[in-house]
Amino acid sequence: MDFLTSTILPGLLTGATVTITVTLASLAIAATLGFLLALVREFSGLRLLNFAIDAYVEYLRNIPALSHLFILYFGLASIGFAITSIPAAIIGLGLVGSAVTCDIYRSGFSALGKGQSEAALAVGMTPMQVIWLILSPQAFRVALPPLGNYALQLLKDTSVVSAIAAPEIMFYARSMVTSTFQTTLIYSSAALIYLAMSLPLAWGVTRLEKRFGGATDV
Amino acid sequence: MFEFLSVFVQYADQWGPRLAEAAVVSARISLLGFALAAVVGLVLALMQDTSSALLRGVAKGYVIFFRGVPVLAILFLIYFGLPGIGVVFDAEPAAIVGLGLAFAAQMAEVYRAGLSAIPKGQWEAARSVGFLPGQVLFLIILPQVARIVAAPVIVTFVALLKDSSLASLITVNELVLEGRALATEYFLPLHIYIWVGVMYFIIAFPLSMLAKLLSRRARLGTR
Repeated sequence: MDFLTSTILPGLLTGATVTITVTLASLAIAATLGFLLALVREFSGLRLLNFAIDAYVEYLRNIPALSHLFILYFGLASIGFAITSIPAAIIGLGLVGSAVTCDIYRSGFSALGKGQSEAALAVGMTPMQVIWLILSPQAFRVALPPLGNYALQLLKDTSVVSAIAAPEIMFYARSMVTSTFQTTLIYSSAALIYLAMSLPLAWGVTRLEKRFGGATDV
Repeated sequence: MFEFLSVFVQYADQWGPRLAEAAVVSARISLLGFALAAVVGLVLALMQDTSSALLRGVAKGYVIFFRGVPVLAILFLIYFGLPGIGVVFDAEPAAIVGLGLAFAAQMAEVYRAGLSAIPKGQWEAARSVGFLPGQVLFLIILPQVARIVAAPVIVTFVALLKDSSLASLITVNELVLEGRALATEYFLPLHIYIWVGVMYFIIAFPLSMLAKLLSRRARLGTR
């Protein structure tokens, strides 16, 4: 028991700060970039650009995050673009996430009736005003619950960045295992720390779903 | 650019067969893991529909736990952690069990969404015209549920396939681990990891498109 409180928990909690940092930073990238992509995809009307965004989204969504991280971290280093592990983790998960959030925002936009933009244009608003003042705020509300679900998934997915040596929870767990061999104790503590972080988040997501309507299929 | 691409052609006969073999391992653990998830998930979904508070609580606790813990942590717990209390798994079965148990929670949610979309009145109506409970379930309810859940089931499978890459971290010789072996042998990590990514894409992309098609169709059907 002493060992648990004196060594294991402090180690895992140090890792947890990196887990939280990576989660928040990549969430920020994903939520912003995904929104820009969704705006362009929904309103630009340029075929070539739309195709490029579709390709970007499908490429990122149909390949494991681990694979993307290896390309970023090991692959780019081999041709002279070395990125250290935590930035690589944040960029990798952020880009993958932008593909997910792009789809979330788009289904938010498509949930709005066509009549809204027609009415807003008819009373003399410019297309930009319609997008910013009428459509986006509503699409964002629809997108909130699935965005929350995505954040929950992201928190768990940060565990894969241990594979590119970013010192988060699973990384500390593995390195403590090599020095102490307390595998059962260490890995179950790690699982419980994740649970302690994700339970409040899951509770928040459920509240969002109750308030803004259920999950859409993204 | 041409130089970059020509490397793929140059090594195709050396990397191709090895990555194809590893893709078979990825597909195998994904399919078996998914089969486990589909069965356990159905049990969990039906448990949450029963009148027993105990069964409901257990199923709910299961879903909350596995929804809150990363798949990687579950795999490590099974493969490295359980031997500490005397339960030893080989790497591949550990991966299948870990992926299966983790995604069972997700499958349970998928089934529940499907089941709750069928009005309770259908049960009562079918029972009152003389169908047996088993007949109602298999002839009336499940065919309709299948139509609703087809798309999310495929989406869940694709997610599981992608997470099967985590099995490389518990030494299962699937695509990513074989990629790492090749990367240390040939010192061309960028090319090799792109190839590995493309292998996943070849399996996952058509499935994702199919899921999109099915969900569009299911939505049209309900109107």
